[in-house]
Amino acid sequence: METTHIRNFCIIAHIDHGKTTLSDRLLARTGTIAARDMQEQLLDSMDLERERGITIKAHPVTMMYQAKNGETYELNLIDTPGHVDFTYEVSRSLSACEGAILIIDAAQGVEAQTVANFHLAMKKGLEIIPVINKIDLPHANIPQAKAQLEEIFAITGDSAILASAKEGIGIEEILEAVISRVPAPKPTGAPSLQALGFDSYFDTFKGVVTHVRVFNGELRAGMHVRLLHSDRTVEIKEVGSFNPKPYTRPALTVGETGFFTANIKSALDVKMGDTLTDSKNPSPVLPGFQEIHPMVFSGIYPINTADYEHLKTNLAKLQLNDSAFVFQAETSVALGFGFRCGFLGLLHLEIVQERLRREYDMDIIATYPSVIYHITLTDGTMKEIDNPAFLPEVTYIERIEEPMVKAFIICPNENIGDMMALISEKRGSILQTETLDARRVMLTSRTPLNEILIDFHDRIKSITRGYGSMDYEHDGYAVSDMVKLDMLVNSDPVDAFSCIVHRDKAESRGRALAAKLKEVIPHQQYAVAIQAAIGGKIVARETVSAFRKDVTAKCYGGDITRKRKLLEKQKEGKKRMKAFGTVNIPQEAFIEVLKA
Amino acid sequence: MTAAALIMAGADSRQPAPAVETPPVSSLYVHVPFCARKCDYCAFYSERANAKTIERYLDALGRELEMFAPRLKPQTIFFGGGTPSLLGAAHWERILTRFDQFGWTRAAEWTIESNPATVTLDKARLWRERGVNRVSLGIQSLSVELLEYLGRVHSRAQAFHAFDLLREAGFANINVDLMFAIPGQTMAMWRETLAEATAFGSEHLSSYEVIYEEDTPLYERLKAGQFAVNDDLACEMYDALLEAAARAGYRQYEISNFARHTSGDATEYPSLACRHNVNYWRGGAFYGAGPGATTYVDGVREANLANTVKYCDSLETGRRALEYREQLSPLARAGELAAFGLRMNSGWPYARFRELTGYEMRVEWAEEIKILEAKGYGVSEPDRFRLTLPGLRFADWAAELFLRVE
Ligand SMILES: Nc1nc2c(ncn2[C@@H]2O[C@H](COP(=O)(O)OP(=O)(O)O)[C@@H](O)[C@H]2O)c(=O)[nH]1
Ligand code: SF4
Ligand SMILES: [Mg+2]
Repeated sequence: METTHIRNFCIIAHIDHGKTTLSDRLLARTGTIAARDMQEQLLDSMDLERERGITIKAHPVTMMYQAKNGETYELNLIDTPGHVDFTYEVSRSLSACEGAILIIDAAQGVEAQTVANFHLAMKKGLEIIPVINKIDLPHANIPQAKAQLEEIFAITGDSAILASAKEGIGIEEILEAVISRVPAPKPTGAPSLQALGFDSYFDTFKGVVTHVRVFNGELRAGMHVRLLHSDRTVEIKEVGSFNPKPYTRPALTVGETGFFTANIKSALDVKMGDTLTDSKNPSPVLPGFQEIHPMVFSGIYPINTADYEHLKTNLAKLQLNDSAFVFQAETSVALGFGFRCGFLGLLHLEIVQERLRREYDMDIIATYPSVIYHITLTDGTMKEIDNPAFLPEVTYIERIEEPMVKAFIICPNENIGDMMALISEKRGSILQTETLDARRVMLTSRTPLNEILIDFHDRIKSITRGYGSMDYEHDGYAVSDMVKLDMLVNSDPVDAFSCIVHRDKAESRGRALAAKLKEVIPHQQYAVAIQAAIGGKIVARETVSAFRKDVTAKCYGGDITRKRKLLEKQKEGKKRMKAFGTVNIPQEAFIEVLKA
Repeated sequence: MTAAALIMAGADSRQPAPAVETPPVSSLYVHVPFCARKCDYCAFYSERANAKTIERYLDALGRELEMFAPRLKPQTIFFGGGTPSLLGAAHWERILTRFDQFGWTRAAEWTIESNPATVTLDKARLWRERGVNRVSLGIQSLSVELLEYLGRVHSRAQAFHAFDLLREAGFANINVDLMFAIPGQTMAMWRETLAEATAFGSEHLSSYEVIYEEDTPLYERLKAGQFAVNDDLACEMYDALLEAAARAGYRQYEISNFARHTSGDATEYPSLACRHNVNYWRGGAFYGAGPGATTYVDGVREANLANTVKYCDSLETGRRALEYREQLSPLARAGELAAFGLRMNSGWPYARFRELTGYEMRVEWAEEIKILEAKGYGVSEPDRFRLTLPGLRFADWAAELFLRVE
């Protein structure tokens, strides 16, 4: 297709503002998929994604649209993940586009994720098409949504398209706006192929299928292509697009979007965001590449040591589809052999753990998540630490820096006080306060990443009774007074529960963890002492008292079967617990402490 | 047709016909599923009695016993419930006549469970005259408020009265049932009940901690937070029980069972222990008649439907009323036997265990024995393995260790 007749765009929105519904509408309106074949929420393909209402994988879809001017256009809709953890994925996907549809829920107005996504889109220089969605709702407030567009984003309210994805209102207008407002792709002027690989998934038959946007030249099967950042050359086997199912095309030409396969065995072999070029006549890299960096780390261990190899196989399987997930073998004194795993954020971590438990039926323990600390030693060298176990002795530490984020929080006016208290509890500082409308404000704060990992989002939701929202972007490092908090079970440190925390919070965190552990560790034959220690000093202590007996019921001839079955069940249950010396800790304990 | 095959008729029998030479079964349990009113903690199968249902039940019971008769030579008989004493003299007349016809009235031990509110001198005399020689009296508590709280039908005064009346009728072997760790029960209340109950001078004492069974009013009260379970207090009450029982001259022979010893060898259990129950813990065969009753013969366990109407329906058409039937593998069965036999103070004599199961306990459960010994919960003696006194409090854990899950 001629570049003048190609448009690449994405849809950005706060969760639940209607991105998926609108995408489905566009597919239907362009005849890409017959309305009757539409499965609800077509683009969210993984079960987990559907369950949580978020998109993790970005699926580009190619639609053919006959515009009012009679011409046919190739419209590539590049879906983007819908959660703060996946900012990198979002920005990579945005790199493949020239324009973005910015959805605002007419009843909700601008939310935190709208702001964060808008910032990303502006950084990429995308043309923004504002769409005010859900105008069918009785409490839709269009003037207010327009006012917010003007005040927060400096976009004239009149440029917004009024739509209802649900009722099919404004759909054609949106498509026409994509054609008239989003710039057509322009060749870069480089001597040969330049294409951006922005996502991938694993197919059992084809190997890694990479989503690609061609910026210059063309990509066709049989070409030998150099992956500049991954530093390898591959032979292209197949190119094509999605409609939304993959179909083969003879070539992807300048401006087009689709996929390629090249007998690539693992997602790790292709860096996401890589530039593809002709291996014989290479062009320079496309701008904006960033290595994927996991932000959050946690150890994953099998409950039964015998499952180690099995776990390894399953982690590798997950990785085939998820290049942002990394792991390597590690050992722990308390837990034995396992893996250090890196994630983009806490949601990503939860998803991986949940998939291991649910889809792969593995009994695993996950250690307390950690961010990456920069440790400057007294001799001047710098170490990156993501595992509390490797934190050097305090005497060798000159200073510790922790990763920071800029968090955007939107909340109703009446919650400002509580929200400020929460931010200060989380060691954040407020950079800016903006009035959004008569009801709401937006607070921009700088907060340590480690503080927002666990329950920040939930707390905001509960303070605002669901009306608040939060999003963040990474914002460098800051020096901080961090200490290591250890949890001891009958005097033995259980490294799964260790964490690096700010000195001011170590004690209360220790107490909370000890109390939580007391709740989840069942009574055993002996009393179990749970202690929290900072640098060897005990700061909290709880005791799970010993059973003094376990028989209560009488047991005669008629009771035996029932009793036996009960005991058998208990016996099986214990196999699913991890034994620390004489203490059995159930799997749930490791999940629960995350919430402590 | 062999006796066993006859018994199996109607049951879905996956088992090959047993050998012609089948040893007689010497234990019989009869379940009487009627109570005057449901106690608040009770999850047993029982229902209010009405004359018509009782008649149907007695007929059905007769049919079921007929099926057992060819192979049954009862040395121990136990009428449990429910509340067997709720049946009237005429009902008993019927039952006892039938037993006489079967030639079962010479059982060495024949127990009837009774509620103090429903024992009468006439009935007690009748029982005694016709061969019943033991009564288990469900006193549970002698505290007026606790009897009320538990929803028992009898009063404190009735407990004393019933005991005297049984003696008057000639019963020289009486068990008293007591419950402890009842919500609201203080240590002082329990000590007083123990003192008064041991002063009865019964031959046997059974005492259990309250259990919270789902679907009972007591469980609902617990869930509703009306009281909390106090494990420490329950333990102290158990200590007090052991102490009071010993002081009153009883010997403990199982976790919750105490009896006097008057003659002979007490290595396995005191002479006035309940033989019928000992047979359960020692893995002996028994027939169980009545709704919800369990039978264990030739290593096969069968449970009757716990529903009087369905039980009667089935027997009226000549079929046994089975709810389930299970037969464990030899190792699982041995594990079960080990597990439940260890509830007895005398533990398991290795030789007896080997005879019954074919397994050498010290070999097959070497690991588990070691674990229990290390904790001081078990001791290996030259001829047996048994739980220690502290170990008996963890008999469930010991059982869990010995069970072999298939
Ligand atoms: N009333 C109304 N509801 C809508 C509209 N668009 C989407 N929704 C509903 O809003 C919810 C979230 O939509 P979804 O497309 O999943 O949002 P996403 O999280 O941005 O992908 C769903 O229940 C949709 O049915 C609309 O135009 N009007
Ligand atoms: S008398 Fe016995 S069987 Fe009947 S309800 Fe009370 S406890 Fe249950
Ligand atoms: Mg969605």
